[in-house]
Amino acid sequence: MSIKGAGLRIAVAAGMHAGGDSHRSPIRVPYWLLSPSLIPLTVVVFIPMAFAFYISLTGLNQNTIGDWTHAPFVGLKHYVDGLDPRGPLAPSFYSSIKASVVFSVATTLFILPIGVGAALLLNGHLRGRTFLRAVMLLPYIIPTFVNGILWRLVFMTNTGIADQIQAALHLGPRDTFWLIGPRSLWALIVADVWASWPFIYLMALAALQTIPADVYDAARIDGATTFRTFRRITLPLITPTLGLGIALSTINHFNNFALPYVMFGPTPPDEVNVMPLNIYVNSFITFNLGLGAAMSVVALVIMLAPAVIYLRAARIGDAD
Amino acid sequence: MARLLETGVTRRRFLQVAGMGTAASVAVPGFLEACAQSASAPSTGSPKPATLSLYIAKDTARPQAQAQLMNMIKSKFEEENPGSSFTYDTYASAGEETTKLETSSAAQEGPDIFEFGSTLVPTAYATGSFEILTSDMWNHIGGKGIFFPPQLTMSGPSPDKLIAVPVSGNPWAMVHNKAMLQAAGISKVPTTWNDFIDAAKAMTNGTDQWGTAMAPADGFDPWHKIWLFVTQMGGQLMDSTGKKGLLDSNESVEACAFWLDWMAKYKIAARQDAAFKGADEVKAFATGKIAFSVMAGPGGMGTWDSSPVAGQYEYTLGPTVPYGMSSLPSGGKPAQGFVSGQYYTLFKYSKNQELALNLLKVVVSPEIQYQYFQLRKQQPVVLGTFNKYPELKQGNWAALYDAALKAYPTPFFSAWGPLEVELGKAINKMASQVGISGSYTMSDLKSALTQVNQELQATLG
Repeated sequence: MSIKGAGLRIAVAAGMHAGGDSHRSPIRVPYWLLSPSLIPLTVVVFIPMAFAFYISLTGLNQNTIGDWTHAPFVGLKHYVDGLDPRGPLAPSFYSSIKASVVFSVATTLFILPIGVGAALLLNGHLRGRTFLRAVMLLPYIIPTFVNGILWRLVFMTNTGIADQIQAALHLGPRDTFWLIGPRSLWALIVADVWASWPFIYLMALAALQTIPADVYDAARIDGATTFRTFRRITLPLITPTLGLGIALSTINHFNNFALPYVMFGPTPPDEVNVMPLNIYVNSFITFNLGLGAAMSVVALVIMLAPAVIYLRAARIGDAD
Repeated sequence: MARLLETGVTRRRFLQVAGMGTAASVAVPGFLEACAQSASAPSTGSPKPATLSLYIAKDTARPQAQAQLMNMIKSKFEEENPGSSFTYDTYASAGEETTKLETSSAAQEGPDIFEFGSTLVPTAYATGSFEILTSDMWNHIGGKGIFFPPQLTMSGPSPDKLIAVPVSGNPWAMVHNKAMLQAAGISKVPTTWNDFIDAAKAMTNGTDQWGTAMAPADGFDPWHKIWLFVTQMGGQLMDSTGKKGLLDSNESVEACAFWLDWMAKYKIAARQDAAFKGADEVKAFATGKIAFSVMAGPGGMGTWDSSPVAGQYEYTLGPTVPYGMSSLPSGGKPAQGFVSGQYYTLFKYSKNQELALNLLKVVVSPEIQYQYFQLRKQQPVVLGTFNKYPELKQGNWAALYDAALKAYPTPFFSAWGPLEVELGKAINKMASQVGISGSYTMSDLKSALTQVNQELQATLG
């Protein structure tokens, strides 16, 4: 029996004894115990979500916001306009979905080896380890808008450091565009990788510190090489934590609004017109709140994918 | 009733529930009505002392001057209204401005006074959250007649439905570097776009000196320029009902092509400009890199007066005859800028509207209006100020005064915001193409404009 299963059974048994009421189902007791969390969650998460879904079915805009409860009901119009490939908003909608998926997946793929590598390095005995551990967190501590401004300066055409370095190393011309056109996606990925790799580093470091030293000692006595130790011991033991890190990281990158907004403004190139930015522009610049809400619902559905994949993967090996 | 009792509902319980329901049905509408009436309409009596709240645009170029001006306004207001005062919050971007407008409109709760830029006034009007100013209200602050007449064209959809009081102007004119024109032997500032292109070519060396600059990556510059060219050609960006986008009309395509050709065909602007925002163009002029800046407001003067071009630049009216023509076409307007500036509006649900009017009276007084010029380098909007302070019509401010008088209003459509964004998307995309490859095709341009017009149409319903 797993610990989780045992816990539930103890709770059920406790409920039966404590209640002593033949009319009350013992199975309800754990749910009552959950209510302190469920009630606030309902108020701050589920009700606004339901409300956002309702707004997505209305034509809420500048003309109706003053009396928003009477905004006209338009049914699934916004979804059809955006998701039907022949719909007028389909190119922008799909372009945003693609930009968000590519951006979040690519960033996560880049930060994974960087974060794990840094964690492995700083988990060993290293001179100045405490200082270096603190330094590693700096990019993560810098506010996102500051990070966005810094990277905008780095990628300025002609005058930015990126173009200067590129020209000095004869890798490309000094007037390469990074903030417009196809390269803008790379500029955004680089900026976000720099800012977010410490997240994976922290997760990996925390997982590494839970691995008992005697496991490594045993491996060493058995003559395992460093690579084999990593592959057979370290990686399997940190994988559950890394799985969570990857899921959370993908969701965080997908929802990143501040960085693309600061770097590219409200009319970004198609390549970086990620969903949060598109939703923001539709909702708060052009006042098309119904459409913005519909896009938010679609984004939520897309974001369920990494969460579901992680939850399913986490169940692997659960004997109960 | 018998059925209810059968289902286990007691008479006592039924009466409890029914009684609560009846009480609620009587009390709730009464409560809501009371709430609706709590926003007091202005009366003729002396207003109750209170502290007003303002939500105003941040002067990012001169934050200290803005704070100084607000302190002056506050002192005068407190002196004239003992026991009353005001506090203010600022917004630094259009996004903050519209977000506050949305949340306040939806909640029917917010600051007593909102400041809006001219092109957002139609959107604010559409929300129905701002007081339509009556004749008595206008008279309270000095009457409509005290204002620069063009500014009132953006105060509301018609003279009897004005919601916004002008507080400062932002006229558009063309600015040029006198030394660069002189060096190129150009003695007359161009008045047609043909002459403009010729003059700009003469001052371009293709490396560090250019005839002009563009800011296609800016949130506003694309629609400013395209509106200008389309208006001069006799076209419109949206039809007269405000329900149909015309971003893919022949005039719009021609206007966009002409602007993109500054980089692609005439090569009077650098390809690097494809990533420029408005501030980049101001900087390029300050460093003496460009000769002309088209549709420049007075805001750039702060930068230019402390740069190598200090004393070397001059504002004039910009060209008004479309490229390839010797005179305006039929229906074309000699526009060289649109009515632009900042406006104060009274929030409909404010409980202090009469006091807010007293504050507006202070803000539009000639003395305070002069401080808008003196401290913030903004153009006053009250005629009396120009009579009292002659420097407002001297030097570069003479051309800006002329520009303000000749400005054309943009259509008073609540969907102007979406139009700005959609047009910006198409221009941004095409300018990127020009910046990267040096050219664009007309079919790509038409396709981009058709696409954004479809998107605009979908949002218009």
